[in-house]
Amino acid sequence: MKGGKKVIIEPHRFAGIFIARGNDAALITKNMVPGEAVYGEKRITVEENEVKVEYRVWNPFRSKLAAAVLGGVDNIWIKPGAKVLYLGAASGTSVSHVADIVGDEGTVYAVEFSHRPGRDLINMAKKRTNVIPIIEDARHPLKYRMLIGMVDVIFADVAQPDQARIVGLNAHLFLKNEGHCVISIKANCIDSTAAPEAVFAKEVKKLKDEHFKPLEQITLEPYERDHAVVIAQYRAAKKAK
Amino acid sequence: MAEVRYLLFESASGYALVERKGSEEIGVQSEEAQRTLTDFGRFSQICSIKAFLPFTSAENALANINDISEGLMTDELREFLESNLGKALKGGKEKVKFALGVADSKIGGTVQESTGIPCVCNDLVQELLRGVRAHFAKLVKGLRDGDAEKAQLGLGHAYSRSKVKFDVNRTDKHII
Repeated sequence: MKGGKKVIIEPHRFAGIFIARGNDAALITKNMVPGEAVYGEKRITVEENEVKVEYRVWNPFRSKLAAAVLGGVDNIWIKPGAKVLYLGAASGTSVSHVADIVGDEGTVYAVEFSHRPGRDLINMAKKRTNVIPIIEDARHPLKYRMLIGMVDVIFADVAQPDQARIVGLNAHLFLKNEGHCVISIKANCIDSTAAPEAVFAKEVKKLKDEHFKPLEQITLEPYERDHAVVIAQYRAAKKAK
Repeated sequence: MAEVRYLLFESASGYALVERKGSEEIGVQSEEAQRTLTDFGRFSQICSIKAFLPFTSAENALANINDISEGLMTDELREFLESNLGKALKGGKEKVKFALGVADSKIGGTVQESTGIPCVCNDLVQELLRGVRAHFAKLVKGLRDGDAEKAQLGLGHAYSRSKVKFDVNRTDKHII
């Protein structure tokens, strides 16, 4: 973004995320590796107390998590210091923003099965040491059990018909009690013949069977068509009587 | 059936053998049991580290994770289990009164076949291993904060690089 001095940076209500206000507003995260873009995204440098700080623009058309944030979810649970298991990391473009949010104190375990995007993921993780790349099938979490500790949040964007089961398998091994999952559901990938709303409801039902308590659900219009993000809590504590 | 007295926990830093002190069968989904598993003070009273075998090098760790993820046993693991549980096995098969809890039934089968140590992989074991995973850094003495993550980071890169068929030094240009 040119004319850096005219841009004002404001913190978003979610810790670790910011908003840049210039001619138009953009969602941004603080770049962990100043001077470099990960996938050609725009960068904004501002002076804060005479120290230069660099931010990277987070595009909601390219990242479902950014779309959910702009869509107005109550909480994404991914925050500075959090440990996140990211299923379906692809080439690590969204992962890099999650890494910016959790910061040095946090960790992102990024799982991707396809080799070509996996290669880009590994290269991104070389620069961001809070990202642990795992090239393995998320359906078989036991294969990578040696690499992961307990996590606070599972983010899943795997676009598979058995997505809820995949999240469940990983949660039983790695998700803390009362931890959260944030799942992006693409209706077409699960059942292309049913109405999207029916597909979302069915997936929420499946999550309930995996000990998740659904907290909120939003569609990703206008950024994605027939997508929903569902946020749920794992093994939620029963209310005190 | 033999009682689960020990647990095998595989980490990026090395193998840990955990001993269960309490022997009562806990109802794993009960609130009380879950509280015991999540609170370190209470968890350390029912489980403690009996032995820990750190990996000697990055290559050593990679060789081990490659086999473990396929459900195979490495020489290190066999030696580790035999030297720590071997005595209890000497009385012959009928006298073995304990079982080893493992995360993966595949590795359980391999261990049982080649060492004779009976292995169990059930809900109780999975819940106990969740506890071990949560408190691992505190259970193992001499492991400092962040050491476990460093080991995971190094091993994650090594494991992933070995899996990717493409040259990791080349990157695709993103089209925007």
